[in-house]
Amino acid sequence: MPKLPLEGIRIIDSTYVFALPYAGGQLADLGAEVIKIEGPGRPDITRSGGLYGSFPDNITGEDWWNRPSTYNLLNRGKRSLTLDMGSERGRDLFREMVSVSDIVMENFTPRVMRNWGLDYPNLKKINPDIILVSNTGYGHGSGPYSGYPAQATTQEGTHGHCWVTGYVDDEPSKAGRSFVDFLSTWSAVFAIGAALRYRKNTGKGQWVDISMYQAGAMFLSEYLMDSIVNNREGTRIGNRHPYYSPQGCYPTQGEDHWIVISVTDETEWSNLCKAMGQPELETHQDFSNVLERKKNHDALDQIISTWTAKNDRYDLMHLLQSEGIAAAPVLDGKDVHFDPHYKHRNFLERVEFPEHRNMGTRILMGRPYKFSNTPMKILNPAPEFGEGNEYYLKELLGIDNDRYDSLVQDAIISTIPITGDPSPTPDPKEALERHQIATWDPDYKDRLQIS
Amino acid sequence: MIPGMLDGVKVLDLSEDIAGSFCTRLLADYGADVLKVEPPSGAQLRRMGPFFQDDPNPEKSLFYLPLNLNKKGITLNLETTAGQNILKRLSLHVDIIVESYEPGYMKSLGLSYDELSKDNPGLIMTSITPFGQDGPYASYKGGEIVEYAMSMVMSISGLADREPLKHGGFQAQYQGGLFAAAATSIGLYGQSNNGVGEHIDVSIVECLASTMMATQTIYPFVGATQARRQSVGDAFSNPMPCEDGWIIVQAGGGATWEDISDFFQEPKLLEPRFSEPAQRANNGAEMDEIIINSIKSRGKWELFTKAADARMLFGLVQTPSELIDCPQLESREFFREIQHPTIGNIKVPAELFKVSETPYQLHSAAPTLGQNNHEIYVEGLGYSTSEYSQLRQLNII
Repeated sequence: MPKLPLEGIRIIDSTYVFALPYAGGQLADLGAEVIKIEGPGRPDITRSGGLYGSFPDNITGEDWWNRPSTYNLLNRGKRSLTLDMGSERGRDLFREMVSVSDIVMENFTPRVMRNWGLDYPNLKKINPDIILVSNTGYGHGSGPYSGYPAQATTQEGTHGHCWVTGYVDDEPSKAGRSFVDFLSTWSAVFAIGAALRYRKNTGKGQWVDISMYQAGAMFLSEYLMDSIVNNREGTRIGNRHPYYSPQGCYPTQGEDHWIVISVTDETEWSNLCKAMGQPELETHQDFSNVLERKKNHDALDQIISTWTAKNDRYDLMHLLQSEGIAAAPVLDGKDVHFDPHYKHRNFLERVEFPEHRNMGTRILMGRPYKFSNTPMKILNPAPEFGEGNEYYLKELLGIDNDRYDSLVQDAIISTIPITGDPSPTPDPKEALERHQIATWDPDYKDRLQIS
Repeated sequence: MIPGMLDGVKVLDLSEDIAGSFCTRLLADYGADVLKVEPPSGAQLRRMGPFFQDDPNPEKSLFYLPLNLNKKGITLNLETTAGQNILKRLSLHVDIIVESYEPGYMKSLGLSYDELSKDNPGLIMTSITPFGQDGPYASYKGGEIVEYAMSMVMSISGLADREPLKHGGFQAQYQGGLFAAAATSIGLYGQSNNGVGEHIDVSIVECLASTMMATQTIYPFVGATQARRQSVGDAFSNPMPCEDGWIIVQAGGGATWEDISDFFQEPKLLEPRFSEPAQRANNGAEMDEIIINSIKSRGKWELFTKAADARMLFGLVQTPSELIDCPQLESREFFREIQHPTIGNIKVPAELFKVSETPYQLHSAAPTLGQNNHEIYVEGLGYSTSEYSQLRQLNII
């Protein structure tokens, strides 16, 4: 079996929250040695829990910081090293790590690494062919917003996503969850593959400067072009298609069950009418061509909804797809675990945690790509806080026991976060009543066949 | 001209859609030589509006123009034996092929990965499809809304008491393109070490699903599913109307709750029912009212600048024209100008991210249909002028 593509590559992952930590997790799947670096007093916020970082089986646990769901998804396959970057001793150790690594990833606001003397020109002095990947809200440089604090949730407005997302003619709407973060995640993975190749051919490193804001704007290129050349601002058209009709999201049998349908030509329209048992609609004056159907989209949506409401969402998908019409059920965070296509693709992987972590087996998403000659999987669970301290500092950097002990003594390193408290997962029954969650299966472990 | 990171990498782009075109555009932007191979009638993308000055001319699609910058283009009819043989010849000289036809189509032409890699074992072929190359739905029709539906994204977008809502535009297709470019660049690096090529199978549904990191994991951890947001009491951290648009504010960042209360000039927000995160969730409707009332006669730009001074996490809803005039994007040189043979000088969104050692270059506009035919067929593959004209007459190119 061929080696994984990034075997032998060591990455210092000094990043927090979602975007680049997830890139680190992806790079670990691809074979890299990824070392997550956190301060003893600055554990990643995804370690704190809460509803969307749930503790397994709602048990906070003694080592709560190692247990939340999203922390464990994003940081799978990594090692963990703690270093107090606020202290000169911590930064010295960081520099020593840089000298034996290939890549550094960081997502501090632009001034931080500069003030620490750890910006690209300085890192290059330590390791001339180092590849540095920086991710910030607005990007480095002299722009007016470069120093502004930012997170995906507020940037969705700034980079234009909200302006184009929303129900028909309604107010702007956000994504349900951080969205632009993941454009940075895969921008970083892309950049790293290219920068490694460049280094191999030229011996030179690279500084990759990713701005979430800029990436978000890029994904709206056609709106930007339409504005540049046609002076148009775009509109919110909900679930409809800019040229075809009908397209929408329609209720089906079952609580909060929906199907999306997208008709893209006259043959499909004819087939939809027949499938609905209303062949006469095809030539009805209100719907006989795409322009009429767009004009009378509301009425058409009513007709389609009346039909879909009496049917099962999966039956509808198979029926319509067999007629050549694009259709799919709206799957939620539970549904994907039981869908035959997801199952066939092995997209959701079973990750077994070591006995002493009391987390059992959990199902985590793998990667959105398959390589024909190089099978991949999540190689290891996310690391416990500081589990790699001894290995990296004593074995790799050769620090003696006395110096190591003094680092522990002075909280430059630690295996327990010295600040922070867990945010317990809300009681699911109460969360249901408050509509914080949509559904709850107390027997989910049986259903998933995990222990 | 400083060579880019992917200098010397040769790519054939067989894609007719947004995802494949964006993937190869990224490879081209960072230095690869990308040759777009289109059917003689032109890629589907050329027929997607909006169009330059609303003229539905295949050279004027506002999708095709930005998504094919920095590439060359030829036409080739892959549904003829002669066309298939030409593609096989071309494929011997490339490192990467990107295609986005339905699974099985390339094989039906005798152009599957197995076929093409026989004489080019290091070949990377990246296939981008809605559902991936295998599985029960592999042959099903996809599209923007279908991929959002299947991937959990829609289940949490929109309001709890209304239907799930897709994201605007065609961002799912761009995501497929970016994620495919990531897999391709990693595959290429791996190949440079071990000589082993790959057929890389990218499913857009899985690309979107991958971003649902909290939504997927909550089920196997506690058995719950995430809900769409409530229509009342959930305005905080969603767009809230002010005098001339909408703003978005979030707790956290460098700002304390006191800072946030000061910012809105509303001391009421300091009461524990708002200042305690656990209680805030139960008093959302009241908090919405207080905040929305406090900003209704304030302008979004004034709020945006003041919020930054207070180190708050704060956004405003920008329109396309505001993005085009944005001083931050200008400082990043995001928009660049390029001369297009049919359209003339045109401003386009350029680089995705900055790299220090190999600065971005926009060297060519999207190719006109068959723009590089003569160069590739006559100068490159060595067809004589009469053979070249025969290929044209037979509608092979």
